Amino acid sequence: MFLALLELRAARGRFLLMGSVVVLVAALVGIVSGFTTGLGDDTISALRRLPASQFVFSSDARSDQFARSLLDERTAAAWRKDADTDMTPLGVSITRGTTNRGAEVDLAAFGVEPESFLSPSVTQGDDLADASADSIVMSAGLADEGVRVGDTLVIDRLGIKLHVIGLTERSGYGHVPAAYVPLRTWQRIRFSAPGSQASAATEIPDQFSALALRTPAKVSTADLDERHSTTTLTKEKAYEAAPGYTGERVTMNSIQVFLYLIAPLVVGAFFAVWTVQRQPELALLRALGASRRRLLAHTVLQAALVVVLGTVAGAVLAGAVGLLVGEQVPFSLPATTLAVTMCTVAAVGLAGTALTLRRVTAADPLTMLGANR
Amino acid sequence: MSLELTGVTVAFGHADARTTVFDGLDVTFEPGRMTALVGPSGSGKSTLLAVAGALLRPTAGQVLLDGEDFAGLSDARRAKVRRERIGYMFQSGNLLSGLTAVEQLLAAAYISGERPRAHRSRAEEALTGVGLGHRLRHRPEQLSGGERQRVALARALFLSPKLLLVDEPTAAVDRSQAGELAELLAERTRRDGCVTVVATHDPAVAEAADRVVDMAELSVTGASAGLSGR
Ligand SMILES: Nc1ncnc2c1ncn2[C@@H]1O[C@H](COP(=O)(O)OP(=O)(O)OP(=O)(O)O)[C@@H](O)[C@H]1O
Ligand SMILES: [Mg+2]
Repeated sequence: MFLALLELRAARGRFLLMGSVVVLVAALVGIVSGFTTGLGDDTISALRRLPASQFVFSSDARSDQFARSLLDERTAAAWRKDADTDMTPLGVSITRGTTNRGAEVDLAAFGVEPESFLSPSVTQGDDLADASADSIVMSAGLADEGVRVGDTLVIDRLGIKLHVIGLTERSGYGHVPAAYVPLRTWQRIRFSAPGSQASAATEIPDQFSALALRTPAKVSTADLDERHSTTTLTKEKAYEAAPGYTGERVTMNSIQVFLYLIAPLVVGAFFAVWTVQRQPELALLRALGASRRRLLAHTVLQAALVVVLGTVAGAVLAGAVGLLVGEQVPFSLPATTLAVTMCTVAAVGLAGTALTLRRVTAADPLTMLGANR
Repeated sequence: MSLELTGVTVAFGHADARTTVFDGLDVTFEPGRMTALVGPSGSGKSTLLAVAGALLRPTAGQVLLDGEDFAGLSDARRAKVRRERIGYMFQSGNLLSGLTAVEQLLAAAYISGERPRAHRSRAEEALTGVGLGHRLRHRPEQLSGGERQRVALARALFLSPKLLLVDEPTAAVDRSQAGELAELLAERTRRDGCVTVVATHDPAVAEAADRVVDMAELSVTGASAGLSGR
């Protein structure tokens, strides 16, 4: 301990430099992971919040199922008969509207049966049950954009007028805040032709994007899919059907993976140079009788101090970034995520130094005999 | 407590490039006496100290400290002998960079398993004893060559070792300081009753020593002993 700290002090410039690299790498990992979670939330939190375990899509939609798949009441009835589980139709589409107060918003309209298990619970105002057909419940993200309970929202180009009756928790789909409308209303939004008389409900097909199963089907979904020309996905698998989700994941995760590779290499390279530079000192310490174990312990201690202190500072920095960016920025860094990523950074950083430890014990005390130093 | 080298052979390298420094060397050093090793450059003074200091394992022979042979011990055991029983001042490269003079001594105490903080004032005294009372907080790069060697000497003496090995202590100091350092070594040897071996070119050190061993003679004796043994 004593010697390790003396050496740290003697080489404080170099250790500070190294420490700041660790701080920055750790902060970057934290920030990237905050954005990974934040962007992920933005894209699929509305799906995650749905109390469903599986989604049934039409089999001709192979990707982007929420946008492409259309099922009708006939398929739903057949499924209902065969699957013997609680299920309800769901419509998902992204649209935009303008409120009576002039707020222009994008929103992901989720069409649900007002009495079904998908109908959202509200934190303010009323929910969809018992509400009139032209009601909409918006998620908190829309409130940030200036929509209030009691406002009237007109869907652009279609002229469909909706009354904002309630507010629910923050949730998003495809980077757009979610809003919930009765399924019939969703069908009008999805299927009306711009400019047509919106009240001509008779021409609107009774179709929807998916069937949501509350609990997993009790029979083989593969058989049912076969029979009814559908594709059943678990909720987690269905996230990939959300626009942009897969691409974002791959991008963010590969950044993180590269950082996890860079961290041990940088720390390892530093300690390799540091160990080579102080070979004369290590040889002298060995000549004075220091054991290999002691030299190892003292190098590990130095590495641990730099890596752990650097990582903690990096975590603080990442946390501060999380606090500073506003609600508008898709950033979410829960304490557990932060803790896990920071432990990983520290672990890979220390693993980097492990590569250099052999050199510490290889110092030859006999070099002290050479008079050329 | 004496130091006895019997049949010590030291050879470096292999085959054509082989240098034999000693061949069957026998020599004994008594406690409480200071021996000066003299001889021309390259005659093997430093090599003998390294063998005696458990730093260099001889190619053959025994090194008995207090009747106990450490030549054949493992690396780890010889390191233990070094830190617990030997004070060694090397010919050069003695100091740890970035540490002050006082810390150089404390580091040695720490390696020997002592609590460094408990020794701070003693370390200051030890440095004052070699005339460095005004250089306690100086780091190696702020010291002259002679001052550095005196810090190293103070460190070798610091823990009152049973075996004190000193390589060219006066190489970089002036005449009067050389005399003082030689006196200091002789006095400590008598006081602590340690075995002291000093490699030197300096007549002042030879004069202060209780015994002078000429490397040339040792090698001759050693060589003939080796020959008669065959
Ligand atoms: N590692 C080594 N490999 C090969 N030869 C060595 C090695 N170390 C020392 N020698 C040789 O051993 C001989 C004795 O060296 P040593 O350093 O003991 O001499 P010395 O008497 O201390 O000389 P000086 O007065 O210059 O310090 C030299 O000829 C040297 O070349
Ligand atoms: Mg020498």
